[in-house]
Amino acid sequence: MTSVPPPFDPELAAALELIKDVISPGMTPQDIDVVRQGPGIALLADLDLTQAGAFEVEDRAVPGPQGAPEISLLICRPTSPAPDRPRPVVYHVHGGGMVLGNNRVGVDVALDWARELDMIVVSVEYRLAPEHPHPAPVEDVYAGLLWTAEHAKELGGDPDRIVIAGASAGGGLSAALALLLRDRGGPRPLGQLLMCPMLDDRNDTPSSHQMAGLGIWDRTANETGWTALLGERRGGPDVSPYAAPARAEDLSGLPPAFLDVGSAETFRDEVVAYASRIWQAGGVAELHVWPGGFHGFDGFAPQAALSRSARAAHLDWLRRLLAE
Amino acid sequence: MKELAGRLTALDPDAGAAVQVIAYFDRLAEARAGVEALVRGAAVLAGVPARLADAERRVRVRVEADGVRRDSDLPPDPAWPAAALTPGGAPALWLERSDAAPSVVDAVILERAAGVVRRVLDRTRGRAPLDDPALLETLLDATAPESARLHAARRLGLDPAAPARALATPDGRPRVLPASREPEAATERTGVGPAVTVLDLPRSWAAARTALRFTADGTAHDPGPRVVYADELGGLALLADLVAPGAEPPPDVQALETATAEAPWLLATLHAVTATTSLRAAAAEITVHHSTLQDRLVHAEHLLGWPVRTPQGRLRLHLALTMRRLARP
Repeated sequence: MTSVPPPFDPELAAALELIKDVISPGMTPQDIDVVRQGPGIALLADLDLTQAGAFEVEDRAVPGPQGAPEISLLICRPTSPAPDRPRPVVYHVHGGGMVLGNNRVGVDVALDWARELDMIVVSVEYRLAPEHPHPAPVEDVYAGLLWTAEHAKELGGDPDRIVIAGASAGGGLSAALALLLRDRGGPRPLGQLLMCPMLDDRNDTPSSHQMAGLGIWDRTANETGWTALLGERRGGPDVSPYAAPARAEDLSGLPPAFLDVGSAETFRDEVVAYASRIWQAGGVAELHVWPGGFHGFDGFAPQAALSRSARAAHLDWLRRLLAE
Repeated sequence: MKELAGRLTALDPDAGAAVQVIAYFDRLAEARAGVEALVRGAAVLAGVPARLADAERRVRVRVEADGVRRDSDLPPDPAWPAAALTPGGAPALWLERSDAAPSVVDAVILERAAGVVRRVLDRTRGRAPLDDPALLETLLDATAPESARLHAARRLGLDPAAPARALATPDGRPRVLPASREPEAATERTGVGPAVTVLDLPRSWAAARTALRFTADGTAHDPGPRVVYADELGGLALLADLVAPGAEPPPDVQALETATAEAPWLLATLHAVTATTSLRAAAAEITVHHSTLQDRLVHAEHLLGWPVRTPQGRLRLHLALTMRRLARP
């Protein structure tokens, strides 16, 4: 097993110095509550969701999965005059390792796209593990998508142009959502934007070993997240692909995918493998591996040159996708 | 945590923020980050645009607080907090903060960023010429191995394939410039060596030091050219070997000194006679009337004991004035 990790990009290495007191690479189950109450989540959620009046923001409670509580959707609609054609929709799934966060986390990134491309953003609140293990999170995400597709028109959106998107656990849940929609015959998303997605509960790739104790979200944290979601089934023979999309045997028939990941993070190898398997199944995928990127680098250090490239790549893919 | 870096200066400028700033630039340095990343770091941490302008190495980088590079042709505001790249040098790194008094954190950012920027520029673009005495010493030492002299040239930012020249000034510290660059207007006496190949610079340096001895302060007590090109001395250069600095001056120079003690105008007047093409031009040069000049020259001939208005006398005078500079200790 390779032991020498790839170096962090210089600017990202420096940024890690700034955040190391707030976030450490590892997280144990005992840390979950501490991190939930820590400053990090509050900081991420402390955003002007209207983007200085560019969006009209609404929290809407919609039906959850059968027999489960309602879920909350954060709906952000452009305040600019409605175009002739209904707007495309970003259906955003937040990150947080299956155990952290809320539907404000990371939504600023989706709002940036929406501003650029005149889109509606819907960000789903899902129940978190370990209090709510699989399938609660992905079923909430699924229910929110069904509601969004059914009500897109009343929001001024186009139900045929919904892009599902998320980072980290949100990327993994988005990938799982794409599988669920395919297998249940649900509405077909226009594309899936999977940013450094959390895909594989086995936590045993070379990169997961190589980056132990380094950067953000190392194998210890990853084990904590997956174990919270799956309990003792984590890494075992009977994990559902709707929990861990890397477990899916069939990756054909999925909407076009964008995947990216840092070369210096736990998820590198599982993301590269997932993209390869989409191609092997005859699918459409675009893959970027950002050299020296740690997990979620573009969110933590948005000013860095590499982050700017990554964000430009997201927007560029969306622009091409929506132009079709 | 997205805005964490940007929020740093929103904190009280306490030791914690300073420590983070130091750690940030230390990591950039360790990871061998480039100049733009360093300027971006300063901008992001300070929350205002930062700019680097190093005229000597023709480096200009300006990055705004959002991390985007946007260069500007506008000159920096003298009110902005700034730092030099070398102690006592001109400001080269600025934080464009004009709305409030600069904070302690600003000062730490500038100090750390400037230090790393300097090291990166030294590493990537070579030092500015004149900057490193040890390298110059090697470059101008004819006994040093050629490989060492070529290495020194590259480290000093000289193109080893292009001609260069050495410059000598009274402080004894050599300077070397690419031949393509004109020496800036001299504020002190300067001898300029011939343009030669980099390996021939020891010869240019020797010639520059010789030329320096032919220079003058350009004052009434020390009239003459402030800058002398060795190339233009011709046979006069041979005189330098004959008149030792600080030694007993030749009789004609002694005569000049004696005469000057009696007539303070003498040196400037006689220099004008040797440095112009006619007595009328000489009178204009020292702004006296033509007849006044005539009177002065009669007086000077009497004091010196040789004519200064004949071709032979003018040559003798010219040599005497020149030897006077060469005899300078």
